[in-house]
Amino acid sequence: MQDIIRQLEKKRELARLGGGQKRIDAQHRKGKLTARERIELLLDDDSFEEWDMYKEHRCTEFGMDAEHIPGDGVVTGYGTVNGRLVFVFSQDFTVFGGSLSETHAEKICKVMDHAMKVGAPVIGLNDSGGARIQEGVDSLGGYADVFQRNVLASGVIPQISLIMGPCAGGAVYSPAMTDFIFMVKDSSYMFVTGPEVVKTVTHEEVTAEELGGAVTHNTKSGVADLAFENDVEALMMTRRLIGFLPSSNREKPPAIPCADSADRIDLSLDTLVPENPNQPYDMKELIFKMVDDGDFFELQPDYAKNIIIGLARMEGSPVGIVANQPLVLAGCLDIKSSIKAARFVRFCDAFNIPVVTLVDVPGFMPGTAQEYGGIIKHGAKLLYAYAECTVPKVTLITRKAYGGAYDVMSSKHLRGDVNLAWPSAEIAVMGAKGAVEIIFREEKGDPEKLAQREAEYKARFANPFVAASRGFIDDVVMPHNTRKRICRSLAMLRDKQLDNPWRKHGNIPL
Amino acid sequence: MFKKILIANRGEITCRVIKTARKMGIKTVAVYSEADKNALHVELADEAVCIGPAASKESYLVMDKIIAACKQTGAEAVHPGYGFLSENAEFSRRLEEEGIKFIGPKHYSVAKMGDKIESKKLAIAAGVNTIPGYNDAISGPDEAVEIAKKIGYPVMIKASAGGGGKGLRVAFNDKEAHEGFASCVNEARNAFGDDRVFIEKYVLEPRHIEIQVLGDSHGNYVYLNERDCSIQRRHQKVIEEAPSPFVDPAMRKAMGEQAVALARAVNYESAGTVEFVVSGATKEFYFLEMNTRLQVEHPVTELITGLDLVEQMIRVAYGEKLPLAQADVKIDGWAMECRINAEDPFRGFLPSTGRLIKFQPPAEGNGVRVDTGVYEGGEISMFYDSMIAKLIVHGKDRQDAIERMRDALNGFVIRGISSNIPFQAALLQHPRFCSGHFNTGFIAEEYPKGFDASMVPHDDPALLAAVATFARMRYIERAVQIEGQLAGHGRKVASEWVVVMGGKQYAMRTAAIEGGLAVTCEGRTYNIVSDWKFGELLFAGTVNGAPIGLQIERRGLRYRISHFGLQVEPVVMTVRAAHLLSLMPAKLPPDLSKFLLSPMPGLLREIAVTEGQDVKAGEKLAIIEAMKMENVLKAEQDGKVKKIVAKPGASLSVDEVIIEFE
Repeated sequence: MQDIIRQLEKKRELARLGGGQKRIDAQHRKGKLTARERIELLLDDDSFEEWDMYKEHRCTEFGMDAEHIPGDGVVTGYGTVNGRLVFVFSQDFTVFGGSLSETHAEKICKVMDHAMKVGAPVIGLNDSGGARIQEGVDSLGGYADVFQRNVLASGVIPQISLIMGPCAGGAVYSPAMTDFIFMVKDSSYMFVTGPEVVKTVTHEEVTAEELGGAVTHNTKSGVADLAFENDVEALMMTRRLIGFLPSSNREKPPAIPCADSADRIDLSLDTLVPENPNQPYDMKELIFKMVDDGDFFELQPDYAKNIIIGLARMEGSPVGIVANQPLVLAGCLDIKSSIKAARFVRFCDAFNIPVVTLVDVPGFMPGTAQEYGGIIKHGAKLLYAYAECTVPKVTLITRKAYGGAYDVMSSKHLRGDVNLAWPSAEIAVMGAKGAVEIIFREEKGDPEKLAQREAEYKARFANPFVAASRGFIDDVVMPHNTRKRICRSLAMLRDKQLDNPWRKHGNIPL
Repeated sequence: MFKKILIANRGEITCRVIKTARKMGIKTVAVYSEADKNALHVELADEAVCIGPAASKESYLVMDKIIAACKQTGAEAVHPGYGFLSENAEFSRRLEEEGIKFIGPKHYSVAKMGDKIESKKLAIAAGVNTIPGYNDAISGPDEAVEIAKKIGYPVMIKASAGGGGKGLRVAFNDKEAHEGFASCVNEARNAFGDDRVFIEKYVLEPRHIEIQVLGDSHGNYVYLNERDCSIQRRHQKVIEEAPSPFVDPAMRKAMGEQAVALARAVNYESAGTVEFVVSGATKEFYFLEMNTRLQVEHPVTELITGLDLVEQMIRVAYGEKLPLAQADVKIDGWAMECRINAEDPFRGFLPSTGRLIKFQPPAEGNGVRVDTGVYEGGEISMFYDSMIAKLIVHGKDRQDAIERMRDALNGFVIRGISSNIPFQAALLQHPRFCSGHFNTGFIAEEYPKGFDASMVPHDDPALLAAVATFARMRYIERAVQIEGQLAGHGRKVASEWVVVMGGKQYAMRTAAIEGGLAVTCEGRTYNIVSDWKFGELLFAGTVNGAPIGLQIERRGLRYRISHFGLQVEPVVMTVRAAHLLSLMPAKLPPDLSKFLLSPMPGLLREIAVTEGQDVKAGEKLAIIEAMKMENVLKAEQDGKVKKIVAKPGASLSVDEVIIEFE
């Protein structure tokens, strides 16, 4: 028995060392932590329960039978974040470059299966050179097994991916199917084909960082949701994200005690919307002043900045916030912003997180680039997402709500539960100038008359009252009362029940 | 007494006058430009009249419009505030003609004091010390040199109509006098349309000390002690105090009596200020000029004398007698004023405009007074002066006043625009300022290359790390109460932490104490007691029993803490995380010299270079229009343009990349 225990200790020690001290040092020099160090920082102290520490690959080709490192390049198990259960897998770049073997994949699948069974999030820490080439199709099969589980888990348990090293080729598709992707600047990259292949095929010269680094995916492609300076920051912020999410779709998102009064008024909001309708303002100020403690966890802050998405709390309970940003492109909806918001709304809907929508939208972005790019289908995604969404939906129109974009942005007609407007709201088919140019086309040569028509149109529609008289707006609220009114609406909606008709799944315009 | 007065001004001074008028039961009329439609002074006044577009010369400076506003509203008198029409004799005269009282001196007093050469002659006649100099027209550079020699170097060559540092040269020898005269004449002609210049002795270690005087229409005059305004940045006053740490009673009496003699010489009826330059080396004082209006810094005089100067001005204008004689004037404690400006001290004091997202001045009372004309949610426009508030404190002595000011600055919350608060806080920590031994060259000497964050001293950064730990513990205390935990497997919260701040790690040990947390760092224990709640910007409490006030806000993982002008961004992490972080190679900050960044928000007017072009240091690269001003951005070093990132017409935010160099 003593002997077995000694053996166990030795095996453990060996496993903990992964690819050995030399490789650990190399990992550190590259600005990366090891798989185990990352888990330590992600989870509560002393809460990690490791599984399959001794698991080894079964490959015998190309001399692999001589090389066995317990754990086979991925550390898996479960633990807690602020006492709440999460499952985790963390690829170990020091072991075979973190490459994915059949057994490596099996370990990942095991934690995913358990997470599904008990209803807890899976957090994947990705740092892998790719497929274990020596294993051939076994490795590819392993990837697909993970993909399949990603898809089945989608909308059932939250899945979060941290890219903390290379993630290339087919490997990118597992994180791609998870709910959130966080990346670390300068030490992580994701691409389907690397710079070498790009050069041969398209003759483009590009570095890995430029092609698929954290900045690229957070500003250009929209693949990632946040970028961090280093592993420590990425992991600490992941803990914070988890605090907003329910463990599974069977739960409401978790509340914490709230010391910020729901009645807090903020007079400065009364002057947020400038008098000149063409002058922008920062919608984030409203968000910061509205949510608990001014604490807003923004996602994709540097991508499609004309729409803002993120998580916050109102009276302690998480909400998802979607807001047009008048500072960027006047807050227009375009392809990128529609996709960004649509995916977020569907995430909230899947996980019982109420959606608060702040509207100042002059319409959809015009132009050939948008039309050729398929704004019709992409804009429809956001419309679809809001329309199918059954969680509490509270909408506040701060200024413009024009045209089809008014309909899209969680309007009453798309089952908005509470639709409020500030006195500065203008709900109309389009801006006054454009409208009179169409309605009074024959008066085009008479600028004086046209100006008068414009004033008439403004007087009629540049206010929230027409919409309110139809019941499309439930109430007109003073800006300084925004927090109070939205908190109350959310409290009223807390036990909302609404089901969509049964179907296998809808056919969202992808 | 008047029933209704009009205040022909804007901003804090209008609000200040309204306050006194209201106290006296007088109705007030404000005037405003279109840009000031939502300004505080409009809100506070009983009535308000719009007098035109944003530009001052089309609104606040147009006498006809102000006179029309008086007639329209039935205002019997006009208080001009400072600036704008306050020292315009013509305005004063025209009001008189219209039968409207001017709450200020008579137009002839204003006129006599308005001309520098004229006023100096008057001063000499009244027995006031004046700087040795030459006041008559000077034929040319050669005569200028002769005069300079007679006076003795160093000398100052100054435009007669000059002000604010414009048209001013200092010469230490013949050559400089020769050149300085020529350029001064040129500048004076261009700037003021008046090329008269004069030459006078340049005073060494000059202090700017001014005497507040008050006269009535019955021939009574008093002086209300002095104000020391030596702390100036580019001839703009930054901190003012009363009394002066330099002036002794005999000197005060001498200066005061000369000031009154001058006021008497021009039948001065109102509050006015006689400015002196005082040599810190010899204690000699010389008359500079008389400001025939209420000064920005009048509150420090009010606090030490207990008088309301605006009230006295109104009463004098109505014809009342002064309520006090010279013997009744006292000095009660020490008062100090910091001008709070919308400018960024870390960016060469560039003006900062925009929305005041947060504006919470420290609470008034207990020796703190705040005069302001702005409010949270208001807009700081590009059209007017950058001063948004005056923070004034009253203490029992100078040290007490300094401490109160430091505390008050800690509690002054401004967000959305930059303010000079960090600079003010640094000045209040400066040993030379605290000693009282300084002159008007203080800021230029101590901050020759401008101001940056490293120039803010803090004697105990570990305290800030301890406060960050306190905040972090408050956060964790709540985070561990989250729903949905595994029963019996809650998070064990550590009592050892590391604060990473400014490239340094501080090891912390925490222990709960009543009402707070004891944080031990490097052998020192900070017992922090506070009822601060997460999300509050102001942190107030005690550390080891002593009160502390600072500002704290969360930015991602960081806490941004501002205390005594110092801003730090600590991150509190577990011991393990801090250790692992230290294993990571330090990332080099991006080499910004390879980029031309926008120094301010504005519109990109022009790009003066093309991609691939070689540029020399000093060459024009781009023009940004901000605050209606064109700012030319020049190359700081030789280089080659790699890429033009921003296109003309783009609206830029601060630090946005405009051009990338190779």
